[in-house]
Amino acid sequence: MKKLMFLMLALFVGFSASAQSMPDVKVENQEGKVISTRDLVDGTPMIISFWSTTCKPCIMELNAINDNLYDWLEEVDMKVVAVSVDDARTLSRARAMTQGQGWDDYTCIYDKNQDFKRAMNVSLTPHTFIVDGKGNVVYSHSGYTPGSEQELFEKIKALK
Amino acid sequence: MKKFILTLSIVAFSMFVAEEAAAQIKAGEGQVSIALESNNTYYTPDKKLEGYGISKPSDRERGNFGSNDYLKVDYNIGRFSAGIQLDGYLPPLYGYDIYKFSRRDSKLTAFLTKYVQWEDQNWGVRLGDIYDQFGNGLIFRTYEDRALAFNNSLAGARAYYNFNNYVNVKVLAGLPRFYDVRSKNVVWGGDLALSISDMAGWNNGMISVEGSYVGRFQDGVEDSNLKYLNIEDGILNMVSGRINFETAGFTFRSEYAAKLNNDLYDQSRNGDKGNVINVDLGYSYKRFSVSATFRRQVNMRTPIEMLPIPGGTGGGNALNYVPLLNRQHTYMLANLNPYSGSATFTGGEIGGQLDAYYSLRNSKQRMKYWNFHLNFSMFNSLDHKDWAGMSTIKGRNAWVEFNFDVERQWSKKLKTTLFYSYQRRDESMNHEDTPIAHYCDAHIFVGDVTYKFNKKHSMRIEAQYLAANDTAGDWVAGLIEYNFAPKFSFYVSDMWNCEKMVDSVSDNDNYFQLHDKDGNPMYDENFQPKFKHDLLHYYQVGATYTHKNVRAQLSYGRNRAGYVCSGGACRFQPAYTGVNLALTLTF
Repeated sequence: MKKLMFLMLALFVGFSASAQSMPDVKVENQEGKVISTRDLVDGTPMIISFWSTTCKPCIMELNAINDNLYDWLEEVDMKVVAVSVDDARTLSRARAMTQGQGWDDYTCIYDKNQDFKRAMNVSLTPHTFIVDGKGNVVYSHSGYTPGSEQELFEKIKALK
Repeated sequence: MKKFILTLSIVAFSMFVAEEAAAQIKAGEGQVSIALESNNTYYTPDKKLEGYGISKPSDRERGNFGSNDYLKVDYNIGRFSAGIQLDGYLPPLYGYDIYKFSRRDSKLTAFLTKYVQWEDQNWGVRLGDIYDQFGNGLIFRTYEDRALAFNNSLAGARAYYNFNNYVNVKVLAGLPRFYDVRSKNVVWGGDLALSISDMAGWNNGMISVEGSYVGRFQDGVEDSNLKYLNIEDGILNMVSGRINFETAGFTFRSEYAAKLNNDLYDQSRNGDKGNVINVDLGYSYKRFSVSATFRRQVNMRTPIEMLPIPGGTGGGNALNYVPLLNRQHTYMLANLNPYSGSATFTGGEIGGQLDAYYSLRNSKQRMKYWNFHLNFSMFNSLDHKDWAGMSTIKGRNAWVEFNFDVERQWSKKLKTTLFYSYQRRDESMNHEDTPIAHYCDAHIFVGDVTYKFNKKHSMRIEAQYLAANDTAGDWVAGLIEYNFAPKFSFYVSDMWNCEKMVDSVSDNDNYFQLHDKDGNPMYDENFQPKFKHDLLHYYQVGATYTHKNVRAQLSYGRNRAGYVCSGGACRFQPAYTGVNLALTLTF
């Protein structure tokens, strides 16, 4: 019965649409300095993808976006933010991996206390968001199937 | 079964509605966001598993259905936010620590966490449930990990202030969560971080010096039954000091932490003082990077509460975070018998791990590249007293692993990965502290191919083989996955012991209690498990549906007993066969 109530509550509030703005949370950048997620908003639309070193589909998705990135950039102005949710245990591995996977064009940030993850309501990784130039979350999806990166591109193109 | 069908229909309906009206709600200027995660299993009878006495889902005290659910609701306006999360275990899924150690007798368990928070530019205050950590979490970390149904959030208050990035100071106090109850032992602490590089105006790198303190009341020191422990301190004090340095691709991070008093609640090691040193080194140049970690720790397990059975308190009973550092694999056979930590039983461990990555790519042909990854880890136990404190057990090797993977993107359509791992583990130390080692060696080979037929259709195949040197026998595994991007994915997998050896992996609690269906013991006079020669398949079939904010996965299969690890902590999962439905919804 409680389960029913859970779902009913979830449904009850599931109406009327509007874009949500990206929360402002403190994370670390590649150099280990604390930055504010609001600073990521600079007028350029972005793909924000939550990943971790132990999440294989996350890495597949980020690699697939990376493979297509230059083709996409010919058509739209955009950037990719890879948010590692690795904790103290795998944080140094995550930093090494972003360098050694050729994600040179990504903005890599590290959410080791998972504050950004909680604020964005991410429960399963990969979870990918599209945020417009003003910081509004316009689209999100979780999970990855090869080819679904195309949908991200379509959505980001539609922002124009 | 009725319950399961009910769940299924509710889920189907809610998915339909969610798609029709995927939304957030605006309440005035503020906004509300909602996330639901629901994990359900209906356990089906499996004569074959029961025949081996490996597990009998019908023995489950709380029926054939389990469900772990999380509903999180947040409200945000400007710098203010508030939220609640309802955790429902209806009842908990089999094999999660909360199932065993839950303190409520009720079949259905619920727990509510909540917070209000103000985040200003340079300072912030939070009241309610707090998730935080000092440094690497070696003396304090509160967090949630749903894969383990772990949550030790601190109910209390936290404040921080940042002065010009030079000084960052944080204080907090509260009561940690212990499975489904609130501990009565107050925990408090503070953290100070000084950025030397910012103070000196140095822009080419980062130097910081940090320190933390955590204290906790220990109720029960007066208890006459515990007098033999000779613990007189009513307060447990822990400290940590850190120095971090980064410049031009080099990284050096170090932490030393210590438990200054005897820990009343860690009775397993007679409450001795503890200490730990952790050093991270990193270097990166262009597309090459290497990272190494060294750690030595003694008695750093810090339980939240005292439970009567030594060692039998489960992974959820932890105030700090001393995780396993070895690589956590995603391939089935590489994860068959993971390292579960010698320090759990011996009180001390020394070891480290190393990763190297290199990406070889041509800037003109983005669709063609090689990615290389190499990993090595090794952990030994330290010399220590046995459980009774009578004799000394010499430290010995508990785990060694060497592995690498080579990923090749050949073209837009084809990608292959080759993976190899050598693992050596002391099987006896996985279960208890014994002077006699029992080493198992395994070589694991994996081939992984992804082929994209067109923009929507793709297929992935995994072939895996594990060659073992001992009585455990060799294993074979395979997986076929077919994807219709972006919404559907289907998979079939199987894993079996090709030498027809029945698995000896078992829970601590019933390690010596293996019986077949007729009640005959399945171990010999030396308590070594007897192997039956029969083929036992661990198969899975499943489908995943993803659309916008909805993700649902339905699967059916037989699951092997073993350790399930997430974020460096593991839980023991008994074998079971069943239907699983996992669902996440975000609004």
